[in-house]
Amino acid sequence: MKHLIICIPLIIVLALSSCMQGEKPMRISSWVSSPAETKMFRNTLDSFTIAHPEIVFDFEPIPGNYSEKLQLMLGTNTGPDLFFLKGYLAPSYISFDILEPINYYIEADSSINLDDFFPPLLDAFNKDGIQYGLPKDFAPYVLFYNKAMFKEAQLDSMPKNWEELEYFAQQLTKDKDNDGKTDQFGLVIEPSTEMLMPFVYQNEGSFQSADGKLGITDPSFIEALEFYYGLYQKGLATIPTDVGQGWNGDTFGREQAAMCFSGGWLIPFLKLSYPDVDWGVAPLPMGKTKATVAFTTAFAMPKSSKFKNDAWQMMNYLTGPKGMKIWTQQGLALPSRKSVAEKNGFYDDPVYSVFMESAEYASTLQVEISERGFEEISVALQAIFFTGKKPLEAMENIKPRIEKYSLR
Amino acid sequence: MKKGLSDRQKQTRSGYLFLIFPIIIFGIFTIFPMFFALFISFYDWNLLIPDKPFVGLANYIELFQDEVFLIATKNTIIYALGVVPVQTILSLFLAFLMNQKLPGRGFFRLAFYLPAVTASVVTSTIFIWIYSKPGLLNYLLSLAGINGTDWLTNPNTALLSIMALNVWSTSGYFMITFLAGLQNIPASVYEAAKIDGASAWTQFWKITFPLVRPVTYFVVVLSLIGCFQVFDQVFIMSQGGPVNSTTTMSFFVYINSFKYFRLGYGAASAIILAMIIYFVTVVQKRYFPPEPY
Repeated sequence: MKHLIICIPLIIVLALSSCMQGEKPMRISSWVSSPAETKMFRNTLDSFTIAHPEIVFDFEPIPGNYSEKLQLMLGTNTGPDLFFLKGYLAPSYISFDILEPINYYIEADSSINLDDFFPPLLDAFNKDGIQYGLPKDFAPYVLFYNKAMFKEAQLDSMPKNWEELEYFAQQLTKDKDNDGKTDQFGLVIEPSTEMLMPFVYQNEGSFQSADGKLGITDPSFIEALEFYYGLYQKGLATIPTDVGQGWNGDTFGREQAAMCFSGGWLIPFLKLSYPDVDWGVAPLPMGKTKATVAFTTAFAMPKSSKFKNDAWQMMNYLTGPKGMKIWTQQGLALPSRKSVAEKNGFYDDPVYSVFMESAEYASTLQVEISERGFEEISVALQAIFFTGKKPLEAMENIKPRIEKYSLR
Repeated sequence: MKKGLSDRQKQTRSGYLFLIFPIIIFGIFTIFPMFFALFISFYDWNLLIPDKPFVGLANYIELFQDEVFLIATKNTIIYALGVVPVQTILSLFLAFLMNQKLPGRGFFRLAFYLPAVTASVVTSTIFIWIYSKPGLLNYLLSLAGINGTDWLTNPNTALLSIMALNVWSTSGYFMITFLAGLQNIPASVYEAAKIDGASAWTQFWKITFPLVRPVTYFVVVLSLIGCFQVFDQVFIMSQGGPVNSTTTMSFFVYINSFKYFRLGYGAASAIILAMIIYFVTVVQKRYFPPEPY
């Protein structure tokens, strides 16, 4: 009996530890946003195996809550050796000092040609000259429009500036059944920082200036916010929740709005869910200057990785001309290398050329504020959109709360 | 086996032998994390940063200066104060009805209990649709000539909407609990009351209500704890928005621990939440004891 009492916990411990044993190969993780994307990524990885058969790896996609799961894995030293890193999270990760600098690897390899990358995309993962990852792709906001609605409203050009955007939205806002309620809005926007920022940049404002100061109460920021919110206030734009949708893609797809701002991820979504909608894309209208926001994702590896050389080989292949060409050729994502975009024919394609053109003046939304501080601003936007608070007042109220979380 | 052991000792030993596995599991996954949370709440604990300095009470001090935490505390208290009484009264009332000999009783018992066995993710998703601007609730209101709002993006109604969902989804569960309590009341007591000429109303207040009191105590304690810990509905339906109007304490704990990755700070807020729950339960036990008089 006594032996049994001692044995039971021992068996458990043994059982647990045997699960942890065994030599594991290098691991690579991605998020899962659509089956098409995961399939494309597997294809790209297959091509890597053909090019580098000596490198064995496990692909472990993370199905949900990617950032939370990844942080937990990295924190407990069970993180993957190569993973997707969103540009806007890079400053936080860099400040945590968990990413392996890759300058050494870049310098050792003369064939990389960093000049081929769009500079803002590289900069998103660079701090003080140290490079922490290589961008695999990017997606800038462009203007999607419903061709049928434009035709119906006899609009045969695209809005070039803010005034025209407002005028177009007016022409496209309609009460079709005359019940006093708008059934078709000119535009669908979201009360989110990401979608507001192109207007701020166009107005020569910023979220955070180069010296770390918050720009959210500057006149250039407030003006842009007032214009953006004004479209909603005047009833020319709607927000997805107002028409019972989860995000602007559904609002646009269901033809509740004639225009929306989105990145390339909307294209496969529209093709799949709303194949009957005839849409086109155009660059965002400009303000004082041309600007848009681009989202970028890089491959990065943790300092704790035991397979740094292999991970680098893989990162270099996936962000190199061959790997990136396979990854981006179907247009699910846009290549961060100009040469790949050219090879894919994206500069000649009526849709993709708009994205590539936008890349020239796109900014990545990069702030040196921890995630919590960055998310506080959406609280202010909600206050404006849902309680009618004055933009300046809302931003002044939230400013001290964001400043607390500066990473400088 | 051995001569020196009495039967009782043998029994105790076998008892612990059977319990050893659950005790280990409980120890590893409940007791240890509880004390570990208390431990790390005194540290600036970010798993990603090897340096985890001891900061004493700094996390707690920061919490009480954190506007969002204070809002979360306020929201949680409003939530509990709103949901618990309504839910308790409603479930007692439903149980009282279901204890009568009504036609279709089995069907109604099932119907009221169904939300309790449905995953909260599912009910929350359905209610997102019901509460949306062109949703079912506003359609019903429009039939009565009322122009509804967008319930989940209006800061004045978002918390209320989630409270209503919780009342709806858990009343059925507590109804079953009350029903068991009601059926334990001997019929002879009611018969005696009837002979004495007590009306149905008097019977309810003078017999049912006092005799079901231990169950009421159980229900109130459980629903209070449940309310203080409300998370899934908030996570799925509103993410704490709009304008922090549905940020509850456990949602605050979650985002600070696992999204912003300040585990020490998150643990400190969890400790405060645990203290509030403990305090409320003690007060309840002290002033509203389960024993009927």
